[in-house]
Amino acid sequence: MDGLELLKKNWKSQEATLPQVSYDEIYKMIWKRSSSIVKWIFIISICEFLIGVLFNLVAADEEYWNSLEQLDLKEITMWVYGINYLITIYFMFKFYMNYRKINSTSSAKKLMQDIMRTRKTVKSYILYVLIGTAVTALAYAYLIIYHHIEDAQVADSSAYVFDALDWLKFTGIIVVALGAFIGVLWLFYRLIYGILLKRLKKNYTQLENLDCD
Amino acid sequence: MIVEKELEHQFVSKLERHQNIAHKICRLYTHDRESHNDLFQEITIQLWKAYPKFRGEAKFSTWMYRVALNTAITLYRKKKRGIRTQDFDTVHFKIKAEDYDDETEQQLGLMYNAIKELNDIEKALVFLYLEDKNYKEISETLGISEVNARVKMNRIKTKLKSVLNP
Repeated sequence: MDGLELLKKNWKSQEATLPQVSYDEIYKMIWKRSSSIVKWIFIISICEFLIGVLFNLVAADEEYWNSLEQLDLKEITMWVYGINYLITIYFMFKFYMNYRKINSTSSAKKLMQDIMRTRKTVKSYILYVLIGTAVTALAYAYLIIYHHIEDAQVADSSAYVFDALDWLKFTGIIVVALGAFIGVLWLFYRLIYGILLKRLKKNYTQLENLDCD
Repeated sequence: MIVEKELEHQFVSKLERHQNIAHKICRLYTHDRESHNDLFQEITIQLWKAYPKFRGEAKFSTWMYRVALNTAITLYRKKKRGIRTQDFDTVHFKIKAEDYDDETEQQLGLMYNAIKELNDIEKALVFLYLEDKNYKEISETLGISEVNARVKMNRIKTKLKSVLNP
């Protein structure tokens, strides 16, 4: 018999061994956009990290380090960089693990949990960046002023004496400036991660509806 | 919203019932379990995307052959020169000839593998042929003329003949 006809005759026999996908699994597939959203979160976090490193490399030239040294801040800055990189890498790792998990999840319920976890990770990352920036900025402001007062050599120190009101104004300006900066940073993060988080949320609601049926 | 849910339910039930079509295509176009699942998922998504246009003008299965094969052909074309292992496909080849001997079974295996080596369009043609579709159905599914389908199929048959009788 002709080989092709032989195969045709036995073609149906393979059906017994075909994998079977359940109703729920198919349902989940048509809503499974989460995995690609989470992949984007991971990619964006890498880009952000690389841009940050690049910016530091370009901005932190010798002059920068020298001026930091004058202010006695060189060592502390290095620590801040190091710790920041470590924490950022930790978050990138978490993003990656979330992506791996969502990609291999097999039940709608697990997928929902994974989505929740991813949203949480992203939110804590943003929180870390915002709080970290604020704390670092305040600490630096304090250290610079503190060192400056110690090192300052001015002829007529009376002209530089701050009274309580001056201090209040000064602190006010710093807080407002910092607040504005953090605000802009927050908006920026809301923009890049917010859209993705919203989509994840939508996906989650859809899965939730499926679960109720 | 209720209409949408109803549509989803309809679609998923139909696909669940006819999923063998997609699995057989996946088996033919991929070389391992993982890419089989990927292709199945891609076919599902493409079917779902196209479903609003389906509107029951043809049989679901007929429509499914068309969309699923197109998805496989498109994806296959993209990674045409990807990694392809030439090994005897023990994972994928599951066609049994119960009332035949070992030799026949081996012939079936050779034949199946030869088909896997055909190009994307040829594979689709042979697949529909093996699914017992007539030339009219084949030509409609693949969007080629009936004559063209016949000519192509004859060419493939000649090519495949040499596999078992070198």
